[in-house]
Amino acid sequence: MIRNSQYLLLLMVLFLSQTSRVAGQENLFQQAIEQTQQRMVKVIGAGAGNVEGYATGMLISDDGLILSTQGVFLDGPQVQIILPDGSLHTASVLRRNRQLQLSLLKIEAPTPDHFTLGSEDFGQQGDWVAAVSNAYKIADKEEHLSVMMGVISLRTTIDAKLNQRDTAYSGPLVLVDAITSNPGAAGGAIIDRQGNLVGLIGKIIDSSETNTRLNYAVPRSLLDRFAKGELSTEPLAQSQVPRKRLDLGLKIFQLSGRNAPPYIDKVVAGGLAAQAGLKSDDMVVSINGNKVKTVRDYQQQTSELYDDQQLVIVAARKSKLVRAVVWEPNPVSPKSTTVPGGQGNE
Amino acid sequence: MNKQPNAVVNRLLSLQRIRLALIVATSLPLAISTAPARAQNVAPQSADQSTTAAPADREDWQQAAMIQLPPLARTAVARVQPTLVTIESFGGSTTRQGEIGGIRKQGEGNTTGIIISPDGLILTSRFNFTDQPRIISVVTSAGEHYTAKLQSEDVTRNLCLLKIQEDVQLPLPTWIPQDEIQVGQYAISTGVGYGDRQPAISLGIISAKNRIFGRAIQTDANISPANYGGPLIDLEGRVFGICVPLSPAGTSATAGTEWYDSGIGFVIPLGGDPDWLADLKARKSTYPGSLGVTIVPNPAGGGLKIEKVVPKFPAAVAGLEVGDVLWQANGRSMESQTDLIQLIRRLSAEQSIKLIYSKADQPDKKQEIEIQLARHPDSLPKQLIPGLPPLEQLQ
Repeated sequence: MIRNSQYLLLLMVLFLSQTSRVAGQENLFQQAIEQTQQRMVKVIGAGAGNVEGYATGMLISDDGLILSTQGVFLDGPQVQIILPDGSLHTASVLRRNRQLQLSLLKIEAPTPDHFTLGSEDFGQQGDWVAAVSNAYKIADKEEHLSVMMGVISLRTTIDAKLNQRDTAYSGPLVLVDAITSNPGAAGGAIIDRQGNLVGLIGKIIDSSETNTRLNYAVPRSLLDRFAKGELSTEPLAQSQVPRKRLDLGLKIFQLSGRNAPPYIDKVVAGGLAAQAGLKSDDMVVSINGNKVKTVRDYQQQTSELYDDQQLVIVAARKSKLVRAVVWEPNPVSPKSTTVPGGQGNE
Repeated sequence: MNKQPNAVVNRLLSLQRIRLALIVATSLPLAISTAPARAQNVAPQSADQSTTAAPADREDWQQAAMIQLPPLARTAVARVQPTLVTIESFGGSTTRQGEIGGIRKQGEGNTTGIIISPDGLILTSRFNFTDQPRIISVVTSAGEHYTAKLQSEDVTRNLCLLKIQEDVQLPLPTWIPQDEIQVGQYAISTGVGYGDRQPAISLGIISAKNRIFGRAIQTDANISPANYGGPLIDLEGRVFGICVPLSPAGTSATAGTEWYDSGIGFVIPLGGDPDWLADLKARKSTYPGSLGVTIVPNPAGGGLKIEKVVPKFPAAVAGLEVGDVLWQANGRSMESQTDLIQLIRRLSAEQSIKLIYSKADQPDKKQEIEIQLARHPDSLPKQLIPGLPPLEQLQ
């Protein structure tokens, strides 16, 4: 992404020249960015192959607590933190969360400038935001981090189960239209024009299939819960509630081989498929949003279906598509996360 | 809140225009020059020297942009949203409110469509429909599911038209007349390709007009599979056109996708009910045109010499032969290969081109001929064209 780094450099130059201007423009970002720069750290750790060994982090307490992202840089012999004044500190890793791709670090140093976390979320769709990060490790020592501007594209939730091949993050997120998905930017801050923390720039979700990336932040309220230790550090252990395999109550016509289209041969009377309105001779075309073209696809998609997850089957019946909600999990499923409502701030 | 958003918008527009002119004048590469202009949204220092805007005035403008734009953008998106649909291509992703699945593989993800007739004509990008799905599921912003069929396509614009099969009464967007579109004007790209029925937005400006052989306008708002088929709107929620992947170099449905989110995005303007749209509505598809000749600059000086003719293609059928020299096409003199290629790329199959040429053995006797272009072999089913040379050599 050559363009991005050029873009970035230009922005930096423009911002440097802007900061020398008269203050008192509280509706602009200058002050907010100045303040944020004092709350950010550079994180240096171990690299591996072509995976970068650096990231960005943010201070969240006056005694050296730092929020950052997950990555191989945490796995080396030591993780180093560069504070805004350029001083170097060794950090210990207190907590990691795979689902949210977050880490909590600690250095033994006073850090009077820091963000304050809380349950409130700032910023709604269309609001201007600035992204402050050390993308591409352009800033060194006490140099300020790079700033990009954009707007909030959407507040939504991403479900890793819908995106199995690219599981990097699962949960509520804030999409932005600034290009933040670059090496080293994760752990950076997205702020609004008053300097409120909107979220932490998430780890790159790099879709191997489409060669596209999401530019997103982990919302403040979720960071707060993670920092307080309210979220499990091992999300997979979260589903301790015993789950059962789903019996769909349908048989696929298999005599034409595994590459044949998956036509329903029989549905068991009173079974889940029958209750959802599926019939014999329907052709299954998708399961939970994943395209199904052959009997083989069908078998793969149905091999791991449990009762803790919604199951939607789309089938072709003559020239119509039938959408059947075959299973709706218990609404008080432990997995359910609430999308934070956007808080206006103009 | 300001009660006169239009006054502010107009003010912003005029300043944007001045700025753009300046930036272009510095002859920075376009990709770099437009991006900071949009992302900064704080007037660059270079504007100070030559514009009349006093510093105090500019601060007002900066504040206006910061404060006014977000609510304007939200209102604009809310206005256009009822006219958007999510297209779940054959067996592709299913939409959910408040949830996304990331960007899916081509042909599997959701695509945005925009309603262009109350009885259910939907215009969208060809991006996700190259494998000609038999049945397509369409979900309105209100969450109603319908079945649609692919009706026609315009390969030169990377668009296709779907028709909802049920009886429907759907709302229509407002189109911006094409002559009102101005470079530097704010633009918001929107789309539901991520999977959430609430559209995602990206803010930018109109970067250029008359792109891709006159068919597209250019924007620096992010354009990606998340909003191919979705509208680019102004701050009043009116629609400039439809976001599509396009590239000057290729005609496939995915050409141009490599420029996703790069600050270079293309949009097909739709204001004024253009002829190509009437064709699509009349179930007539449009394809790139081809003359079926390979040409080189004439070594004898001036004109283009035919090096190869493709059998059964229009030039061959019209009697043009290897060694003939083309002097003019549609009134323009032909000096280099690109002269002819540019001209043909602006036309589509079934349109005619007027040539002035001379036969190899009678170089002084110039003749005029009008030839109707054939469908370009790149847009023909592959089995019909064994052994044909690639696009570049065929013009």
